[in-house]
Amino acid sequence: MGKKILLGNEAIAYGILAGGANMVASYPGTPASEVCEAAMKLVKKHDLPCHVEWSINEKTAVEVAYANAIASLRSAAIMKQVGLNVASDPVMSAAYMGTAGGFLLVVADDPGPHSSQTEQDTRFFAMHAKIPVLDPSSPEEAMKMTIEAFEFSEQYHTPVILRPTTRVCHARQLLDLPAINPASRQPDFRKDPYRWAATPGPRLVLHKELNEKLARIALHEWARPKRVFGQPGARLAIVSSGVAYAYIMDVLKAFDRWPDVCVYKVDMPYPMDHSLLLRIAQAHEKVLVVEETEPVIEMQFPNRERVSGRIDGTVPNTGELTPEIVMRVLDEVTGVPREPEDGAARKQRRPSLCAGCGHRGAFYAIKKALPKGIYTSDIGCYTLGLNLGGVDTCLCMGAAVSQAAGFYHAFKNTVNPPPIAAIIGDSTYFHAGIPPTINALVTGARFVLVILDNATTAMTGHQPTPATGCVTNDYAGRTLQLEEVLRGCGVQTVFVHDPYDVKGFTEITKKAYSLSEDQGVVAVIARHPCIRDRQALKDQAVYAMDITEECTACGYCVEQFECPALEMGDERAHIDPSLCIGCGVCVHICPHNAIKAERRL
Amino acid sequence: MNVLMTGVGGQGIILASDMLSEVMMRYGYDVKKSEIHGMAQRGGSVMSHVRFSEQVASPLIPLKGCDILLSFEELETARYVPYLKDDAQVIINRFRLAPPSVISGARQYPDIIPFIQERTQRIHLVDGSSIAEEMGNPRGVNIILLGTLSTLLEPDEALWIDCINTMLKEKIRPMNIEGFKKGRQVQIH
Repeated sequence: MGKKILLGNEAIAYGILAGGANMVASYPGTPASEVCEAAMKLVKKHDLPCHVEWSINEKTAVEVAYANAIASLRSAAIMKQVGLNVASDPVMSAAYMGTAGGFLLVVADDPGPHSSQTEQDTRFFAMHAKIPVLDPSSPEEAMKMTIEAFEFSEQYHTPVILRPTTRVCHARQLLDLPAINPASRQPDFRKDPYRWAATPGPRLVLHKELNEKLARIALHEWARPKRVFGQPGARLAIVSSGVAYAYIMDVLKAFDRWPDVCVYKVDMPYPMDHSLLLRIAQAHEKVLVVEETEPVIEMQFPNRERVSGRIDGTVPNTGELTPEIVMRVLDEVTGVPREPEDGAARKQRRPSLCAGCGHRGAFYAIKKALPKGIYTSDIGCYTLGLNLGGVDTCLCMGAAVSQAAGFYHAFKNTVNPPPIAAIIGDSTYFHAGIPPTINALVTGARFVLVILDNATTAMTGHQPTPATGCVTNDYAGRTLQLEEVLRGCGVQTVFVHDPYDVKGFTEITKKAYSLSEDQGVVAVIARHPCIRDRQALKDQAVYAMDITEECTACGYCVEQFECPALEMGDERAHIDPSLCIGCGVCVHICPHNAIKAERRL
Repeated sequence: MNVLMTGVGGQGIILASDMLSEVMMRYGYDVKKSEIHGMAQRGGSVMSHVRFSEQVASPLIPLKGCDILLSFEELETARYVPYLKDDAQVIINRFRLAPPSVISGARQYPDIIPFIQERTQRIHLVDGSSIAEEMGNPRGVNIILLGTLSTLLEPDEALWIDCINTMLKEKIRPMNIEGFKKGRQVQIH
């Protein structure tokens, strides 16, 4: 089918469809988002008999995809590593029950972390759940492993996890495209309540079966580290997997300064053939394990006397590995005199909400309406509201709502309880905000629930939400609006207002807070489309902005509003015309009325 | 050959590095590339590593491994000096985007040139952003810089134009080809 430069995530999508999947279900999250996006495009382009959906959350994605797999079809569920936390319940159980059709979980880890709450290692999770896990070192390998994982899954009747990391997901590589054959299998669900609906008794039987299965899998060729470089009798053996393996190969080939070294590559870090690990440890004077992010392979060495890695601190135990860290570790282990350090790259520029982002007005208004309040927030672009003092907490998806309730109960018996606002995005609210809203209402919590509704899942690249519709390739019917959901959860008053009108939004937030005394949770939907949506941007009014002599350079606008287009000069503030989109919102912020806006046609 | 592209989220760095990768692939090299998506794209530091040669194992350029640094923003250039080889070529777009400490008035925007000169003298300043403004396409700075970069690389102009034609939608092709040619005319030798 020819050659093409593919993003790692696109390569995985090709692998899923070349592997004959009839279903792909995912919730977006960096660095995994492009897998489902690419699968959606390919399915439409080749008109494949495959259902692709952006599920409401990862737990739902796994459950939907798993049902398809136990109906003897092939499924892939895709998420980022913290999404697996959300999906952990069905995943743990699916390991015991096994599968009929191929069932692949693609779980992307984010060492660094570049765009995540934790650096958690999905390979550990796989071990905990007793599910085989593959650790690709490049887009090419990720594609190959994905295709083969479906066969493997059916051979052993087990779910399989493919665990790429950011540097595999977001690497691009020249690849031979695989042949994509439309899946032709018919669904076949064989009723077996002792498996698919097992109660505790039969679960014990399933657990024993699972252990036997894992023992068999540990004899598979994937479970054996393979020597891919150097001599069998080398003094130092490096055992590595994932992108860390690619760094090792790169530096060994590029520099000659580490003699007498061999490299073993691990494809499947769990389960592994432990007898082979023991043999490696006996055959070499020293063993160095280089892996991302936790010592999963290292821990499985039955005897670690000669083994070094993350446990003994030879390899740093936080942060992403890079070629230079790998070189430093090699120097240390082999006793090669170290090259003078040059220092790592400098501190990065912090990200901020886009100039003209509707969220900025909402944060500013909430601070005005509820001064000295506690602002619980959540995961999304809007976490960047912390730059302007509008975000006090960000724990995990949906926690804005539950934490607001928790703070209410913590402070309710104090003399002057602070006002509380839960600030959460539209997609995040659908994902995990609904149960905590019901919980807050029936436990008597009091707060303003602000939903920042930009009609998209912005940070991960504009995926659809239940309110926008088009979440699948094969259905364009019913959508669900936030107002309907909130009323269904028992919220009596739901305000909807455009946060570009900062004054109006401030008044409404105040009103919502006073109503919350009787009603508990009162919702305010801050509705303004994401300005990265080109059509939405075209549809809105544009103003020519100017800062007049009234500006006293007090700095209020850059601190409290934090628009990247606003900059402090010596005598007055400036607006950078290359960044300003002319939304005109900052006019209402300046305490000296020094910012002027003139409507452009 | 290792090319590092740096700048700030929203400047079109990912597309520019995609185009470089495509050209090098068609020229016959093995290509690997690494980029950053997600939160950093909201105005944060963005970089893209592009590596091409007979065979490339990993997508990351090691420290002191960069042959050409193409920077879309002046201050961002300084962040990546440790990546430069001693004789590396550095192309800097004359464009300053104040970071938060400058926006708030706490600091002055620094002069980065002496800092880069500690590593290499082969520094080329390019008025990419002004050329883009003049052309009435301020977002087209990426293609102009790519044009300038192309003069340091082996493939000829035709291959680049061919890639622009395949990778961009018809409507925006003429403007991008014009920008690319303007970028190629910038004298940096």
